[in-house]
Amino acid sequence: MTVSHAPQASSLPTRNAAYQQLVAQKNSFLLTMTISFLVMYFILPLLAGFNKPLMASKVMGNITFGYVLAFAEIIMGWVMAAIYVRRAQAFDRMAEEAKR
Amino acid sequence: MTFLLAAIIVAITLGVTFWASGRNSSAGDFYVAGGKISATQNGIAIAGDYMSAASFLGITGLIALNGYDGFMYSVGWFIAYLTVLFIVAEPLRNLGKYTLADMLVYRLKDPRVRTYAAFSTIAVSTFYMIAQVVGAGSLISLLSGNVIKPDLAIPLVGVLMIIYVVVGGMLATTWVQIIKAMLLMAATIVMSVMILAKFGFSFSTLLGAVQDKSGADFLSPGLKYKNPLDLISLCLALVLGTAGLPHILVRFFTVPTAQDARKSVVVAMGLIGAFYAMTALMGNAANVLVGKTAIEAANKAGNMAAPLLAEALGGGHNSLGGQFGLAFVTAVAFATILAVVAGLTISASTSFTHDIYNGVIKNGQASDAEQFRVARIATVAVGIVAILLGLIAKNQNVAFLVSLAFAIAASANLPVILYTLFWRRFNANGAIWGIVGGLVVTLSLIAISPNIMKIDKPDLKTARHLIQRNAIFPLENPGIISIPAGFALAAAGALLGRRRENEEQEFEAMQYRAYTGAGMDGSVAHD
Repeated sequence: MTVSHAPQASSLPTRNAAYQQLVAQKNSFLLTMTISFLVMYFILPLLAGFNKPLMASKVMGNITFGYVLAFAEIIMGWVMAAIYVRRAQAFDRMAEEAKR
Repeated sequence: MTFLLAAIIVAITLGVTFWASGRNSSAGDFYVAGGKISATQNGIAIAGDYMSAASFLGITGLIALNGYDGFMYSVGWFIAYLTVLFIVAEPLRNLGKYTLADMLVYRLKDPRVRTYAAFSTIAVSTFYMIAQVVGAGSLISLLSGNVIKPDLAIPLVGVLMIIYVVVGGMLATTWVQIIKAMLLMAATIVMSVMILAKFGFSFSTLLGAVQDKSGADFLSPGLKYKNPLDLISLCLALVLGTAGLPHILVRFFTVPTAQDARKSVVVAMGLIGAFYAMTALMGNAANVLVGKTAIEAANKAGNMAAPLLAEALGGGHNSLGGQFGLAFVTAVAFATILAVVAGLTISASTSFTHDIYNGVIKNGQASDAEQFRVARIATVAVGIVAILLGLIAKNQNVAFLVSLAFAIAASANLPVILYTLFWRRFNANGAIWGIVGGLVVTLSLIAISPNIMKIDKPDLKTARHLIQRNAIFPLENPGIISIPAGFALAAAGALLGRRRENEEQEFEAMQYRAYTGAGMDGSVAHD
């Protein structure tokens, strides 16, 4: 995919430095978060599909590794949402700057 | 007692509906409750919209009958909200007004995109709705002990949902979803505490009992999903499809700002995560306390596991507590069906009225009063179509329509949403290729999959497959092929499409508004 910068770029409205910073930081943050959660999430179906003995092994009493992993994924979801919200508040402040 | 409790729920929700009707005076009120729902209310409503009967009754049953594999399903339904939170919720609120098409057209500036996006919205809503309506028919007949047959239950649900939406619009729909979410959470929490008390507050003890009763296989994957590719394909569709489901997307237009949209997802994730975590308790407890044989005797698919579990926890079949438990959970399941169907109906009729009628037929010139009127007529039409399709399909195997809706949302909607937000070179041609291509590929693969093509036993009367032949495409869920195809086709369409003079400025303008909310004027404003 080519990202082309057309010649009419000069006619774009000028944006301040805070805005440029917001776009760059937010894009890289979103990309990192999305890729990390997809990778972590797909560990579950991949192991369930291809490593059943590991998933069936018991780690705490009768609780299997599979259940531990599944509950860990739910907690991972909450933690990643919390990280996102914290960072998003910083982006909100940057967005206020950017609108000046 | 079941009928009494269900009647109370219907009476309360109808009361709310008539209260809401006094507050609806414009099309914006009808579509998105004037954009004045609070973040917390919206979060609860999202949870209410999402935790369908398929989750509550279906997953509990899946775990009770298949053990661990059912719970893995739960995890995917929850994790999907990270995609919603990270990528779609905030830009959607900043760029759109009432529908997904608004957001795409805001950047791509081509009215054709509106038509195709509306078509895809209506297609996804319809498939999801047929599954819900047919499911409602068999569930209500099952829950009522076969007193109310599907032939009566389907029109009953259809008429109630038409009343909610036509009379109360989005405000009533939201409150029906909030009431339902709270009832469902209450029922789930009470049952989970009772289960934990029974097993010495130890999940390990509960799993030990499952193992003694049904075997160690129940504690690990493999009983339901034999083919790893099918499982991965399903997980892909779940995790990427939720962010493209129109009835979830429309909820982000009901709050005033992008910050509220973000907070709504967080509230919803709190509830949805807790709910799905508790399905592990309910499903396993149903396996131990009710037993596979009794659950399968009531319904082969396991849909009665949750109500029967409530009966067992209350003290059994002949006790007052048992009867109350069964009645309460049954009534909650009924409320669940109504809330989800109402949410689907309003997203379909909003898309029809705002995108097709006003946007395309009337060129954006329809008056507010006219849109308000057409939206209500569209709702009645959507309701009648849903009832008819439900009655036609009532003996077919339609459970796959839910995963079909997710697969279409992931293959046709999500690629276009992502490219619109992040890819400078994207254009209207790419959006059209993506939506049409994603839809066609998904539908074609489903048509030749084991969902449609399978040889049933001759004595099977309900849930029969449409084509009695062996399937050509081996997977039940097409996601693993159709999602990359959707991305590829949208990209190809964009690269082949004609360059527009202003596309660079249009991207910049979109990005500025998406990232800062500048110029965002709430839901009720000029177009």
